[in-house]
Amino acid sequence: MIRATDVSHAYGEDPVFRDLSIDVDTGEVLAVIGPSGVGKTTLLRLLALSFEPDDGTVTVDGTDAWAVDPDERLSLRRRIGMVFQEASLFDAPVERNVEYGLRIRRSWTDRLRHELRSVVSSNGTADAVRDSLDIVGLTDKMDQHAASLSGGEAQRVSFARAVAYDPDVLLLDEPTSDLDPRNTAVIEEAIAAARDRGIGVVVATHDMHQAERIADRVAVLLDDRITEIGPTAEIFDDPDDDRTRKFISGELVY
Amino acid sequence: MPIEPAAQLLPAVVDLPFRDGYVSSIIYVSLYVSLAAVALSTAFSVPVAILLGLADFPGKQFVKSVINTGMGFPSVVVGLVVLFAVSNQGPLGSLELVFTKEAMIMSQFVLATPPITAISLAAIAGVDEPVRDAAHALGGTRFDVALVVLKEARYGIATAILAGFGRAISEVGSVLIVGGNITSASGISKTRTLTTAIQLEARQGQYETAMVLGAVLVALVLTVNAVVVRFGDRGVKP
Repeated sequence: MIRATDVSHAYGEDPVFRDLSIDVDTGEVLAVIGPSGVGKTTLLRLLALSFEPDDGTVTVDGTDAWAVDPDERLSLRRRIGMVFQEASLFDAPVERNVEYGLRIRRSWTDRLRHELRSVVSSNGTADAVRDSLDIVGLTDKMDQHAASLSGGEAQRVSFARAVAYDPDVLLLDEPTSDLDPRNTAVIEEAIAAARDRGIGVVVATHDMHQAERIADRVAVLLDDRITEIGPTAEIFDDPDDDRTRKFISGELVY
Repeated sequence: MPIEPAAQLLPAVVDLPFRDGYVSSIIYVSLYVSLAAVALSTAFSVPVAILLGLADFPGKQFVKSVINTGMGFPSVVVGLVVLFAVSNQGPLGSLELVFTKEAMIMSQFVLATPPITAISLAAIAGVDEPVRDAAHALGGTRFDVALVVLKEARYGIATAILAGFGRAISEVGSVLIVGGNITSASGISKTRTLTTAIQLEARQGQYETAMVLGAVLVALVLTVNAVVVRFGDRGVKP
């Protein structure tokens, strides 16, 4: 589905990645593990087509995203959903937040008509909005303002916002690092539900237990490269790479 | 007993030493000029603030410094420059705008633009980067991201517009120079605003008239400030 091949990227003089390759397919959960500050967020932003790498290719279903024109790249970008470490919701009710991805995909005339109609009456709730809030168990918070939610609820809404437009791939950047166990469990169940819908999920996490719980495959990001990528059990039980083994066993401390 | 003095006061307020329509025409001119200038200034300033807030280009800091300098620019000098521009020998001389409301709108525009731009820019810069990133990552174009930023900064921008209006409506120097403080023979304001009328009436010793006009102006500015404070409060995130 999304595949980065031999990607190199640097911020000024500092290389972030060197010849890095990674791929995610639909209907699987890939966990990217690695210590804090190793570049997991940058890797997710790369897969989200937020920036062009210095070298290498990023393809979506075989189409080189940086070789096509901006319009086509936008339509590739729109098949991807993303959830950040911070919920970063808009200053609006929950429903408007979750609806955002659907709204911007409409034509301008539709959007205008929709906005005008909302002034005089309700447009009703889109099924996709209700369904995605249902996944994170927050349909009852639909009319609340985003600012009134707890941190955990906000992150769950952020998740619903990213799945509402039914992306092919969902990128999650440390989605539960600030959450309590209950909200973490809800997000992890929602990740499983997204996979069951056929969405390919990439979760960046520094929590190795979480990776073991939810991922079908694991990629280990150490320094500026993927040291190992493969089925979860294989990576945790019998890693080939010496540094990976040390990282997983906790000997390699950053 | 206490009713009597109040009843005596009332005619004193109503029986004012000026002709019908004088005060209302002055209020009209003041509001017309200030509102038109602020509307034009908003149409110019907000897109500029968005551009300055979201785009990176060489000379951006310089543009920001110019805007900040403009906030404290002396209004009489602005009036003088606009007067030169619209005078017969000036670049806009053929439009014959000297001592017209349009010329006053021009100088008010120049005065209101720096505060509206600067305060809007501060509001736009205050929108969290993760929120912008989210709009982009959810499939937004640059225009969609700009719309999200506008919406997030809406209270700050409203504050900016009201602050610009406050500056325009209470301004004296430049509107006196470019407008000329003119009334028609029947005493109806052509280019006389509340501020220029107050200074004229006071100079002529018509203190009651000046005070009534002053009260109207203060009431207008207070109303605007009350709205600004209200918007400002709502803009602060919990």
